[in-house]
Amino acid sequence: MMQRPGIIQRLVRFLAESPAAVAAFVATLGALVAPAVGLAADTGFTSAVAYRDVPVVGSRNLVWVIAQLHLLLAGFVLGVPIFAWLCEVVGWKTGEKRYDKLAKEFTKLLSSAYSTTALFGGILLFILIGAYPKLMAYLSDIFFPSFMVYCALFLLETATLYMYWYGWDAMSEGGSKVFHLFLGFMLNFFAFFIMIIPNSWATFQASPVVIAEGSDLARAWAATWNPTWWPVNIHRLIANVVLGGYICGAYAGIRYLSARTPEEREHYDWMGYVGNFIGVFGLLPLPFAGYWLMREIYQYNQQMGITLMGGFLSWLFILQAMLIGVLFLGSNYYFWMGIAHRIPGSEAQYKKPILTMLVILLLCLGVWMTPHSLVASLAEAQKMGGTHHPLLGVFGVMSAKMTVSNLMVLVTFMSFLMYWQAGKQATVGWARVAKAIMNALLVIAGLAVIALGVYGYFVPAIIRINYFSTSQVGIVLFVLVTFTLLTSAILKSAKTTTEMVWGRMPPRAGYALVLNAVMVILLMTLMGYARSSSRVHWHVYGVMRDSSQYAFSPALGYAAVLMAANTFMFCMIVAFIFWVATMGDKAKPAHGGKEKSGDGHGALPAMAGGSQTLDKQI
Amino acid sequence: MSEVVKLQLIGLSVIGSGVLILLFIRSQFLRVIGFVAIVLGLFSLVALAVPQMASLPPAEESIDIASIKTPADMAAIGQKVFFSKGQCALCHSIGPSESARCPDLKGIGAKLSREFIFESLTQPQAYIYLDYRHEGIPKEYPARMPYINKDPIGLSKNEILSIIAFLQQMSGEPISVNPSELEMPGKAPSAPVKAAEAAPVAVAQAH
Repeated sequence: MMQRPGIIQRLVRFLAESPAAVAAFVATLGALVAPAVGLAADTGFTSAVAYRDVPVVGSRNLVWVIAQLHLLLAGFVLGVPIFAWLCEVVGWKTGEKRYDKLAKEFTKLLSSAYSTTALFGGILLFILIGAYPKLMAYLSDIFFPSFMVYCALFLLETATLYMYWYGWDAMSEGGSKVFHLFLGFMLNFFAFFIMIIPNSWATFQASPVVIAEGSDLARAWAATWNPTWWPVNIHRLIANVVLGGYICGAYAGIRYLSARTPEEREHYDWMGYVGNFIGVFGLLPLPFAGYWLMREIYQYNQQMGITLMGGFLSWLFILQAMLIGVLFLGSNYYFWMGIAHRIPGSEAQYKKPILTMLVILLLCLGVWMTPHSLVASLAEAQKMGGTHHPLLGVFGVMSAKMTVSNLMVLVTFMSFLMYWQAGKQATVGWARVAKAIMNALLVIAGLAVIALGVYGYFVPAIIRINYFSTSQVGIVLFVLVTFTLLTSAILKSAKTTTEMVWGRMPPRAGYALVLNAVMVILLMTLMGYARSSSRVHWHVYGVMRDSSQYAFSPALGYAAVLMAANTFMFCMIVAFIFWVATMGDKAKPAHGGKEKSGDGHGALPAMAGGSQTLDKQI
Repeated sequence: MSEVVKLQLIGLSVIGSGVLILLFIRSQFLRVIGFVAIVLGLFSLVALAVPQMASLPPAEESIDIASIKTPADMAAIGQKVFFSKGQCALCHSIGPSESARCPDLKGIGAKLSREFIFESLTQPQAYIYLDYRHEGIPKEYPARMPYINKDPIGLSKNEILSIIAFLQQMSGEPISVNPSELEMPGKAPSAPVKAAEAAPVAVAQAH
């Protein structure tokens, strides 16, 4: 017998389904608070207090946790609409209803996720104003006009989300579907600007430009257009797609592990595939965006670049290499399991290529993780002949790391292509020639990347950074684009020799999907720490010094424990959001009396249909 | 017990909890939580195994006017202000630089009089110095020279004079500002600074 939901559940549901109320509250709060902060300077009032501390945890740690959770949630609510909209477009173009249903169910998550994100943003604003009044007054003085734009965008985004979500069924056919797709586009359009405006505040802190006198708008615009703004915008946009994809994958993985029926296993296996695909799709260009950001940082201020790559943060990049390496391995492993388990009879055919790719990936990871210089005892240093290892030392430099990161992208792309082509036979006459060209191109590209990497040791750093590294990136991008176009042309008329069978993946596939999502979240927390610590003891680099008791940057171990805690909390919040969003789906069948109530475990929430049987009912 | 050891113990206990969950709990959701706990614990342990280096801020220095005895003392203070509160190095380099967005200040103290430098800092839009020509492709993010004595930089007269001393010293010129021109805190300002009274100098041209 189904019980009526309790007060807490109803309250949670109400808040989760009322993003506009929360967003409007936060926007109003921003509109009210921002002028108060900004006008403080005009009235001649200067706060006597530059900092306030929070007992026990400390103000810096509290800001760290809340800001990190807000940022991760923001990444989620900006990544999911991209993911959902792409799925909706695919469903619309192909006519496959399950894509549309997947998109709809992930959009349903947005309502609860959006309000949670806005709440964390409001909490962060309060804590920042309370704990860092002087800094906030300074930033408000510069950015007040963009605060207003930000509030307006919040309202537009909320209105669009309402129409997009509540109008899904009403606008499901014909011209109204096209309008619905347009709404989805606008949702992402506003979301993009909601992302880049706060980026301008954060990037200004890292790479400020001198603000000359002028109108408020001119000053805000000058500060917004700072050297690292666009590199961060692009990097975060791609990273949000990756986050959205892998979280979808992790959700599917968990549901796959607890699936009770073959239909559920099939459905969540397919959903995991879609999530992993979109995650990898974003992951491939991500290193290039990161490289561009790093290059801009070096160009802006070499000292900041050195602090990041060669100073006290240098070990952080070894950890980053480890996380990215595990992510690449996890994504490839999932592809390889897909080939072995979903395409009967293909395991033997692809065993050797998979083994080769695994060896290349592990070698590349080994090089990427080699530190530039080792912390060694005097005796060890004497034995090595210096702080650099005589053999391994050459792998610790950027020329080697750039080379292997490009090779790892190439290998992952090959895994994807292999999966794409498995079980299909080309029918076009020119397929053999095209495949020969692609094979030749792949070998040439791989050799060119390695040759440029080796040559990079013998040229000045500026030549390597400006020409060699960019050429390596260009070569890999060329391969990615060319191969995708050729393969899609070949497979357009290909004959399917072996049907893909869903729902046969072993349980470790589900854990691989969860692992990938955790790696992405950890990476975001790690690089957030890197970005913030690169400012060392400055709130605004070179402009406003941090003179609080927390002006130091903590050691990596301490920071990593906080990152792990943040990652865990975020995972729990996302799990809670999924639980809230699917709560109603559990109740509906019971009220309708048409579904079996099962034993409690069987009545799983019908996230994205839950099964193809349910999918067909729409 | 050091902080690192304490954190390592926390990491190990998190991993242990994860292992216990995987061994004895059948609920799939809890098993996934156990798996995530193991991954996060391992990550923390790896991060705690690498050299632990914190970045400590340098001691903050304030200008003690009483301790300034010579023009060279002023130049030393000016150098600090140039690279910190004054934010000059955000745009200007001393010597050729690829990344500098504004004129190279090497030798500027020899080219310009102290009056002109003072005016350039406090009325930057009044005159454009004829000798500044940037050749080659335009620089990204060109910056307009801000009023250095107003917010947000807001240097005091003492700090501006110290910067002039630094620019002159760095150019190998005799320092023409004197510690006696500095305003003592709490005292009423003395006669307006000489530079502020000066008429526009000959090398400048109205713009």
